[in-house]
Amino acid sequence: MCEEADMEKNYYVCTGCGLLCDDIEVESEKNKINKVYTACRVGVAHMKEARNEATFLVDDKPVDEATAVSKAVAILKNAKNPLIFGLGNSSNETQKTAIELAKKINATLDDTSSFCLGPLAEALIQDKLKTCTLDDVRNKADVLIYWGTDPSDSHPRHLSKHSYFPRGREKQRGWEEERTAIAIDVRKSHTAKICGNYFFQIPPKGDAEFIDALIAGISGKLPKTSYNYPPKKILELANILKGAKFGVIFVGRGLTDSLENLEPLFRLMKILNEKANFHLMPMVRSYNTMGFNENLFAETGYVNSVKFENGDVKHGPEYSIVESLKAKTVDAALIIGSDPLLILPRSIAKNMLDIPVISMDHCETMTSKHAKVHINTAISGVESGGSAIRMDGVKVNFEPAIETKHPSDEVILKKIMEAL
Amino acid sequence: MDFGSFLATPEINVKVITYRDIFQDKAMLENRFGEEYRDLSAVIKLDPADLKQLNVKKGETVILKNSFGRVVVKAEESGYETPHRGIAYMPKSPWSNMLISDETGGTGVPKFKDISVTVTSAKGEKVTELMS
Repeated sequence: MCEEADMEKNYYVCTGCGLLCDDIEVESEKNKINKVYTACRVGVAHMKEARNEATFLVDDKPVDEATAVSKAVAILKNAKNPLIFGLGNSSNETQKTAIELAKKINATLDDTSSFCLGPLAEALIQDKLKTCTLDDVRNKADVLIYWGTDPSDSHPRHLSKHSYFPRGREKQRGWEEERTAIAIDVRKSHTAKICGNYFFQIPPKGDAEFIDALIAGISGKLPKTSYNYPPKKILELANILKGAKFGVIFVGRGLTDSLENLEPLFRLMKILNEKANFHLMPMVRSYNTMGFNENLFAETGYVNSVKFENGDVKHGPEYSIVESLKAKTVDAALIIGSDPLLILPRSIAKNMLDIPVISMDHCETMTSKHAKVHINTAISGVESGGSAIRMDGVKVNFEPAIETKHPSDEVILKKIMEAL
Repeated sequence: MDFGSFLATPEINVKVITYRDIFQDKAMLENRFGEEYRDLSAVIKLDPADLKQLNVKKGETVILKNSFGRVVVKAEESGYETPHRGIAYMPKSPWSNMLISDETGGTGVPKFKDISVTVTSAKGEKVTELMS
């Protein structure tokens, strides 16, 4: 008997994306990770992320913690309407602290979901759509639709660990015989290539019409599109979907950005569940965006884009980061684990250059370069522990893999709260 | 005199589809200000016929321009078997973000997937540096 097999192994959670893979092994020395096993390309890079030496910067000059915190406090105190943004790469505990801070300073609070998959997350939290867990997918799913999403690039172990390739409890014959993978997209992504003949390429903005045509096909009518998609192919797809015993639609921004609203998707899910059994899962990217949506919903009844005002909470797109920056309604920003100057259109993000910014991140970012105060925090999930909500709503606890001298974002937020 | 010198630089209009790339994501995590991230981000992938019309060889730089911004990126062939003239692909990055409208209709959602640009040869101009 192999002795090693009896040894208890330490598995870590990768916080590189919303999958929160919990089977990661690392080799470390002197609090530096040298090797990462099991993780994907992005996961390995995330676990081994390089970092800066300086922990606290004010106006690009190294300072001590007290100076950085007091400068951050001064910026927030002087602001009439500060924005707190980010938190998709923070633990539940940090997110809850940030919500408390936002209440205390009457801040506008938002995360990336306001311009990504927030409306879908909200519908799921409110039980308006049928969903399932990734474990259900692995064990039961027979028909998988990747719509406007390319997990092979965005969630690299999605197909191998959960959705397509594994031998699940009720799917022992695996992808060769028991699963059908379908991609609907405007380009032949890596995932679409895996789907082979079940790749349905549609023109940009063609999704709503394709949904209508698919619904017609499922209802036994002739599917028509203005771009003349072959009706025979749509009918073939409709038949596969009707036969699904446990179907799942994985929805990416390729689909949601193409729709005016989610109504066509609701209609599709309704008919799919009349004829078969279908679930929907948004392909949330950051490791704890779902957590942010759930934590804020529990506190306010909204998943993003809120403004606190003396105990009241206002909500609407005008309180999203995009509209707040566009209308210049916010006069300072605390950015936690995000890089709006990198991820937002420059035409909008440029307005952030006109206000004082406090940046908390574990690396130098385009945003931190413009920040008045930059606090180099621990890498959440690698150097600090906590809990998070996986993209399918499952809570996952995680321990740090190495120790660090850098403070966690939660610790810094608490110090800011105390100093206020 | 060569007839070609009377012709304006060829210009085409394309719709840009952005996408996420695992190699580019990995490069960003390692160093978002590094060469690898720039090389994998500041790229537009075009139909070979569009490249030919532009009189641009793969690997050369092109200017992408619309009313929201202007960037110089490297032009590549898309490698897709199906022809897609007028449609081009870019990994999403600060370079593609330079070309996105600030018009949101008050929804809070920028039109990340609705980018139209004109493309011309950059005639050797270097790739736009990441603004800092």
